Amino acid sequence: MSVAARSDLEVKLAGRAEYGADLELPGMLWGALVPSPVAHGKIRHVDLGGARALPGVVAVGADDLATLLPRGQGDAERPIFPADEVAYRNQPLAAVAAPTLAEARRAAAAVRVDIEPLPALVDLESEFPDWPGPDAARSPHIITHVHARHGDLEEAFRTADHVVEETYRTSSVHHVALEPHACVASVVGDRWTVRTTTQTPFGIREDLSLLLGVPEASVVVEGTWVGGGFGGKGASLLEPYALLLSRAAGRPVRLALDYRQEFELGRTTLPAVIRLATAVKAGRIVGRRVRLLLDTGSSLPGRDWSTGYSIGFLLGPYTTAAFEVEGYGVRTNKPAFGPHRAPFAPQCAFAVESHLGEVARVAGIDPVRFRADHLWRDGDTTPMGQAVGPFGLGAALAAATAVADRWRAEAPADHGVGIGLGFWSTGTGAGGEARLVLTPTELRVEQGEREIGSGSVQRGLVAVAERALGLPPERIRVDYLSTADAPFDSGVFGSRTVGALGRAVVEAATALRADLAARSGVAARDVSLAVEAGEIVCRSPNGRRTVRSLLTAEEASRGIVASGRHFAKSNTIDERRVVAGSFYPFTDFTGAAHVAEVSVDRETGAVRVERYAAFQDIGTVVDPATARGQVEGGIAMGLGIALTEEALWSDDGRLLNPHLLDYRIPTLGEVPAPEVTFVEGFPGAGPFGAKGLGEPPIIPVPATVAAAVRDACGAHVTELPLSAERVARTLKLL
Amino acid sequence: MTGFELLVPASVEEAVAALRAGAADPPAVIAGGTDLLLDIDDGRVDPRRVLSLRRLPWRSLDWTDGALTVGSTLPLRSLEDDPEVRRRLPGLWQAVHAVGSVALRHRATLGGNLGRAAPASDLVPMLLALDAEVDLVGPRGDRRLSVDAFVRASRRTALLPDELIRSVRIPESRPSAYLWQRVRPANDISQIAVGVAFSPRERRWSVAVGGMPPRPALLAEVAHDLGDATPDDGVLRAAAVRASRAVSITSDQRASEEYRRRLVATLLLRAVRAVPLDGEGRP
Repeated sequence: MSVAARSDLEVKLAGRAEYGADLELPGMLWGALVPSPVAHGKIRHVDLGGARALPGVVAVGADDLATLLPRGQGDAERPIFPADEVAYRNQPLAAVAAPTLAEARRAAAAVRVDIEPLPALVDLESEFPDWPGPDAARSPHIITHVHARHGDLEEAFRTADHVVEETYRTSSVHHVALEPHACVASVVGDRWTVRTTTQTPFGIREDLSLLLGVPEASVVVEGTWVGGGFGGKGASLLEPYALLLSRAAGRPVRLALDYRQEFELGRTTLPAVIRLATAVKAGRIVGRRVRLLLDTGSSLPGRDWSTGYSIGFLLGPYTTAAFEVEGYGVRTNKPAFGPHRAPFAPQCAFAVESHLGEVARVAGIDPVRFRADHLWRDGDTTPMGQAVGPFGLGAALAAATAVADRWRAEAPADHGVGIGLGFWSTGTGAGGEARLVLTPTELRVEQGEREIGSGSVQRGLVAVAERALGLPPERIRVDYLSTADAPFDSGVFGSRTVGALGRAVVEAATALRADLAARSGVAARDVSLAVEAGEIVCRSPNGRRTVRSLLTAEEASRGIVASGRHFAKSNTIDERRVVAGSFYPFTDFTGAAHVAEVSVDRETGAVRVERYAAFQDIGTVVDPATARGQVEGGIAMGLGIALTEEALWSDDGRLLNPHLLDYRIPTLGEVPAPEVTFVEGFPGAGPFGAKGLGEPPIIPVPATVAAAVRDACGAHVTELPLSAERVARTLKLL
Repeated sequence: MTGFELLVPASVEEAVAALRAGAADPPAVIAGGTDLLLDIDDGRVDPRRVLSLRRLPWRSLDWTDGALTVGSTLPLRSLEDDPEVRRRLPGLWQAVHAVGSVALRHRATLGGNLGRAAPASDLVPMLLALDAEVDLVGPRGDRRLSVDAFVRASRRTALLPDELIRSVRIPESRPSAYLWQRVRPANDISQIAVGVAFSPRERRWSVAVGGMPPRPALLAEVAHDLGDATPDDGVLRAAAVRASRAVSITSDQRASEEYRRRLVATLLLRAVRAVPLDGEGRP
């Protein structure tokens, strides 16, 4: 195995990489937000007079939008500042800028806010203690309803040998990226430029164009190095406020969150209640009923993507003869639900895997064999009628089972071993385009994504180009361009960088090879690139020529340019099964089987993860070290969801633990070095058959830990996280 | 934070004089700063002046006549690295080792931990069980208080605004143990912690519980129940039950009252069993 060093590490380790919060421009002002003091209320008045009376202060609020925006706001349902009603605590009501941060904070404090508090809905179960009935479903709090069914479910449940019904509860978790959100905006004339730490420069551009009512061509988004994204930096957050302030001030304005605000304003996974019922006859699942009540925070009616997306994870990756799945998105007074690495899939896998373990126990079947018997295989269709395609989860499970059996044989009495499975859909996103520029001495990959820390851009795209063209990695450089210069790409999310943008790199490499072949007078397959005496040379049966000698006069300053595009194939669902709402069509399935060995303190309920192994369906490994890093990181993050991470709110919508002391991510002491095995041979749509990898490794972790805890001490915990107190309660120690 | 003036006195006299001169608006005192700086950062306090103890000669560690005296500004990591501390006061070593992280212990001090009197302090319970005393200096002279008398309540001590903690004295080596339970083992504060120690000279146990508001507490009656040697299982179990009932406990985000009471009993049992006494009750 060769390990290529990531070329961004040098600037990062030396402290030279410029992150969002490092940005400063000459003449820049510092911004601050004016937060709502209540979670829900009617705005009577927001008085900016006190702030404006301070020297050097610029303040903007809802009343200023008409003057600052040439065409008015572009999205009436999503005002930049709320005019009438506050939807969550700390929602920005106005923004201020001043020559220093301290002055900006004083100015923000000088804004007088008059709000009539209204009752806040914070805990969705306080409004819907049971499944919403026909009346409750008309509640103003319910903003989404999705419903699908297939087969004769009533018959399946009536004639079953065993029926198991359970309720699971999952918690809200945060991204905890090392770097908080930060940006510097600069509006000059009709050009709205923002430098920001983002996963999706083009997504932010589109969003800003909508919010500010200005054409996309007038908005320029320049990404910075990103100190961790995990889904939290995929939508605009601070940029509209910073741009408005810059517009008002006529100077650049910097806006950055401190870590408390990062917790309070970040859009992330919110709590849910999951009800599962399964009917088994003669060892087979004959019916499944799935119900999801999801806290969507202050998501808008008609704009909530999370319910229809999340619910798909509660049906898979298992076959069933008949099913019914129904979900409600509940609007609460919290920031809107936002994506967090494999949004909501780890929570769904926890519920599904734990539930099927219980079903197997009741039916007297080995839980691993029970799951293996029902796994999707290539050629199957999913319950929603989608083609599965090459799917390595069965092979991963077989390998995981062998390790679990060995560990169980070796484990002391207070230890337990568990297996958890997860599946994922990769190859999402609207599309991507990459440009390759071949110069006499290097190959540049010009593209519009940003490296967010995983290595998928900085190393992944280089590895793809390396494999496509045969050049050594030190001769390949990734160029990060602003949205004004880069070819379009959807951005870093959905595990899509290598899978989707990597395909565009391969297409561009193919075009480049054809171009070089034409110049050399040979067929494309007869061309190869190499480095000789410091120069890139093109070899062919007609001899070797330096790239320098192949350049035309116009190409002399830039190089030979080739473009490639890739648009994700779309899958379809069987619409006849849909009763209400929209379901997300998954594509390009991947899966992971994990094994955990845990020890459980039977007097306190404390859980310690002793050993961990992951078997990952990957199609093809493009770069071994980066791939391994993604799996290790996913496991560490998943262990947080499993054991310690949980955002807590007061009844009036105040986040109770917006601090790294009280919101506990795992430290290295809680994360054993995992064994990582890649299952190849079940190709995906990515380059060389690769499948996306950013998200799948986090998905099975909570399920795996829960299975191991159950094996260790018998505690069947149905609520995340598996804190010691929760395990102790399940063991009836309290 | 609006910024502060940093005072760095070069002598104890200068430090006390500076405190006295500013008695109307006393400066915040900083040693390692691991607690104060969090308060400043979170906006809970906004001191105009901060008095640093870093030039005072208080980074000492001294054994005299069997008693240990620890200078108030000695970094906890130095205490932890001392093999004699680990051998003669194992409970103290375990408590110090439990604080925060290695990096934090290079900054944090015993004096700071006592002076800040955080309700979940991992050091106060063990110092209580070791009958530790605090030596204070001030304009009216020196005085010595037991840790029990010094720590009044959550974030409240007997320290007067013009006094400083010079050192902490632990009167004798004691077989001892300190056990804790946390949501996350590293870099966290305890849900419940139990410190136990046995005095070979007085042939008695002492028991303290921490991790819950308002402050760590000595459980004298429970200690008495444990007798004058290694208790037998029945005695120990009865004492553990008594301890779990005796402690004043409330629920908070870290743990419920119910769970904390269970932890008190479990950790007390384990801590007493972990104390290395032979059958005669000698170390």
